[in-house]
Amino acid sequence: MRQGSNSTTGSHPVIRFQQIPIVPGPLTHLEKIRPQLLSEVFEKTEEDFSGASLDILLGEALYSERLRLKRTQSHFFTRSRLKKDFRLWNQIHSGLLKPAAEVDRKILLEQVIRHYAGEIGGHFDSRVYQLATRAVPWGFSWLLNAAGVKRFLPWGMTQSLESRLHILGEVPTLQRLAQKGTILLVPTHQSNIDSVLIGYIIYLMSLPPFAYGAGLNLFSNPILSFFMKNLGSYTVDRQKTNLIYKYSLKNYSTLILKEGIHSIFFPGGGRSRSGAIETKVKLGLLGTGLEAQIAGIRAGNPDFRVFVVPMVTSYHSVLEAGSLIESYLEDLGKHRFIATEDESWQLKKVIGFFWKVFSSQSTITVRIGKPLDVFGNLVDDEGHSIGPSGSIIQPVRWLTTRGEVQREAQRDMEYTRELGCRLADRFHKENTVLTSHLVAFAFFETLRRKYPEFDLFRLLRLSLPQRSIPYSDFLAAAETEHRRIVECSGRGEFFLSDDLKTGHTETWVKEGVRQLGLLHDVAVVKVQDEVISTEDMNLLYYYRNRLTGYGFHLGLKQHDSKGFLA
Amino acid sequence: MTLKDFWRNSKVGVIGGGSWGTVLANIASRNSREVRVWLRDEESVRLINTTRTNAQYLPELQLDERVHAFSSLERLFEGGLNAVIWALPSSACREQARIAAPYFCGDELILHATKGVEQGTMKRISEVLSEEFPCRRIGVLSGPNLAYEVARGEPAAAVVASSFSEVTDAGLALFTSDSFRIYRATDVIGVEWAGALKNILAIASGAVDAMQLGWNTKGLLITRGLAEMVRFSVSLGAQESTFLGLAGIGDLLATCCSPLSRNYRVGFRLAQGEKLEQILEELGSTAEGVSTTHTVRKFALDQGVSMPITEAVSLLIQGEASAQDMLHRLMTRPVGNLVF
Repeated sequence: MRQGSNSTTGSHPVIRFQQIPIVPGPLTHLEKIRPQLLSEVFEKTEEDFSGASLDILLGEALYSERLRLKRTQSHFFTRSRLKKDFRLWNQIHSGLLKPAAEVDRKILLEQVIRHYAGEIGGHFDSRVYQLATRAVPWGFSWLLNAAGVKRFLPWGMTQSLESRLHILGEVPTLQRLAQKGTILLVPTHQSNIDSVLIGYIIYLMSLPPFAYGAGLNLFSNPILSFFMKNLGSYTVDRQKTNLIYKYSLKNYSTLILKEGIHSIFFPGGGRSRSGAIETKVKLGLLGTGLEAQIAGIRAGNPDFRVFVVPMVTSYHSVLEAGSLIESYLEDLGKHRFIATEDESWQLKKVIGFFWKVFSSQSTITVRIGKPLDVFGNLVDDEGHSIGPSGSIIQPVRWLTTRGEVQREAQRDMEYTRELGCRLADRFHKENTVLTSHLVAFAFFETLRRKYPEFDLFRLLRLSLPQRSIPYSDFLAAAETEHRRIVECSGRGEFFLSDDLKTGHTETWVKEGVRQLGLLHDVAVVKVQDEVISTEDMNLLYYYRNRLTGYGFHLGLKQHDSKGFLA
Repeated sequence: MTLKDFWRNSKVGVIGGGSWGTVLANIASRNSREVRVWLRDEESVRLINTTRTNAQYLPELQLDERVHAFSSLERLFEGGLNAVIWALPSSACREQARIAAPYFCGDELILHATKGVEQGTMKRISEVLSEEFPCRRIGVLSGPNLAYEVARGEPAAAVVASSFSEVTDAGLALFTSDSFRIYRATDVIGVEWAGALKNILAIASGAVDAMQLGWNTKGLLITRGLAEMVRFSVSLGAQESTFLGLAGIGDLLATCCSPLSRNYRVGFRLAQGEKLEQILEELGSTAEGVSTTHTVRKFALDQGVSMPITEAVSLLIQGEASAQDMLHRLMTRPVGNLVF
């Protein structure tokens, strides 16, 4: 399972910042099959609930939806959507109050499913796609040139983008597999920026457009919403917790995968609050790959395959790190109830981010991970599932129960649970450690060793003199940590960025200090008069957490009684 | 097709023709169409197929006509098997699994009946099998099952545990008979570790009997031993409640009270002052408990899990202390405030 080589270091040769012909994919037919798709979602979801007590089902949905609507604050762009929601649930409410003989519960259920299916289902407009794919690179190029060179150089400066955006890993394999089966791309999620970035990366890899399971809050920005809606995005609303919604969503995802439409969604469920890589993933949508594969095989194509491809993004700086870590700590401390914050998208912020990224010579590293099958086995270039000791597995056999390929709820749940575990493991192994991550980790751990009796919350409240240490002491500690991570990466626990592989300690520390949390108003680490300090312990903790999940490999205790992530 | 009909028409392979494998094959033959037993030795295969008994291990058991023995894995798997029962000792597990792996298709349901863990790595048998076989639907069968008692048709029961209900369903369908009951469970870790750890206590139990001590001491040993088993297994992810079941206390009682088990005999003779090498030589085979004791003790020390009885058994095996000394040491330990 482990791979020792870190040889793919530079950007992949296929990633060129230039005009790439748009590859038509199955998504371009989405508009044609959309009505059919939605009615299939409806039929399948209704079938899932056959035999269930509709009164209880609808009652539970009504209850949780009422709570959600009460909590949600409407603003200009979401008002009409909320109004529709209110109207629907009022109808369901009055329907449920009447006897079943008068109001058929099946019709009520149909109403709800159709409402959800309509909300979830995306559109695809190839004209919008052409527009977006032309506008986005142009915009990037403009930003890059204008920001990087501080003056407007219209075309030609394309090489520089390669030095800013590193796309590493299994790009050619992904391109091959996209021809052989349906791709389910599952990225780690740190920032709202991910959504924009991923769409662009798909384009850079010359892959056909992907359907995109995106948080409903992203659709509240009208410009973004316009593009997302017309580029095959379907909406995922994590606030809706009722079963009818969950099944409608799952069935939508299953059916588009079965149609061969490549899809993306974030398996972590939301952005990582602690800053750590996802150690647990949500299994609901993840399991739709397996369901689609079964459906595809049963529809008469025994070779129908879904490939689960992990993708790990590494940033030096995360725009919303402050609010994320705060929410994580509040939750952990249980000080008070946290209302779910709904950071709406501000285009200004996003442009500001990219401006800063490009103008500061900061880099974003993206690694396409080794593909998995729907059971979590590694997959080779040809799409074969590789079992233990290198044998080739026949997925059809794994889906055979009592002599027939069929769904088997408990078995499929167990396969998906294992896939989730292995995916979380792959996320950690495909992670690229950046200089800034190591600086934050080394500094935080040095402080921890200085105050071994402090628990997490006590340590986060260190005073400024307490959280300042001589730079030379820090350098020594950083060198030790560096030795350890080089060892770890040699064992295939993660990858290292180039400057961590070759650099002299002082060089990479300097680079890391410069890059770490560049976008924040406060200095996450600051070196002044031979003293290193931090202005914000919470942010330091956030960036330090990027190197957690490796436990004892990095000298952390697995069961930490003081509340630190290990 | 209903579940029961499916298994009535199924083909089952049993890998390992020792006493327990033979008994399991015989029970399964009444609930399936055909049972094929694999043994390495061609002469034994010929004898089983001609005399309809396994003379080497269970001469008194008359085998069902649907049981056939094979020495070729290729023949065993010919035409596909629906379920495979793995009944080899843990020491042979990895090696045999590598040999058998290429014959599996991937849709076989696998149940193993091995009590022990892989030496050195401390991997459970189901972990070893899933590392070697292109199959993921694997489970374990365990419980107080002394083979010759089950063969005689005395009432007995076992637990079948797997994270796949398909596998536990198969275990239930194949092994239920008038005198043998199957209980289903999901705690694979607990069931496997219970089966491995009780061997340590079997050694201790033999030692207690050799010192001619009574039931109070035995009761003490079993209870405190069980507490150790729970502590250790829970730290590895097992569930406590498993140890109240057949695979836990059930198996522990049967093993500690039966003077026939190899581990018990090792403990008995160690307490009489014999040397381990000599005992093992005369027994003609290794006792699972000996290697398990060392592996478990080392891990417990590393993890800070308190296991005084295992510690004592380990010292006894190494010949560093007499049984009397160990007993004295255990009895004069400071009283802790642990519930377990």
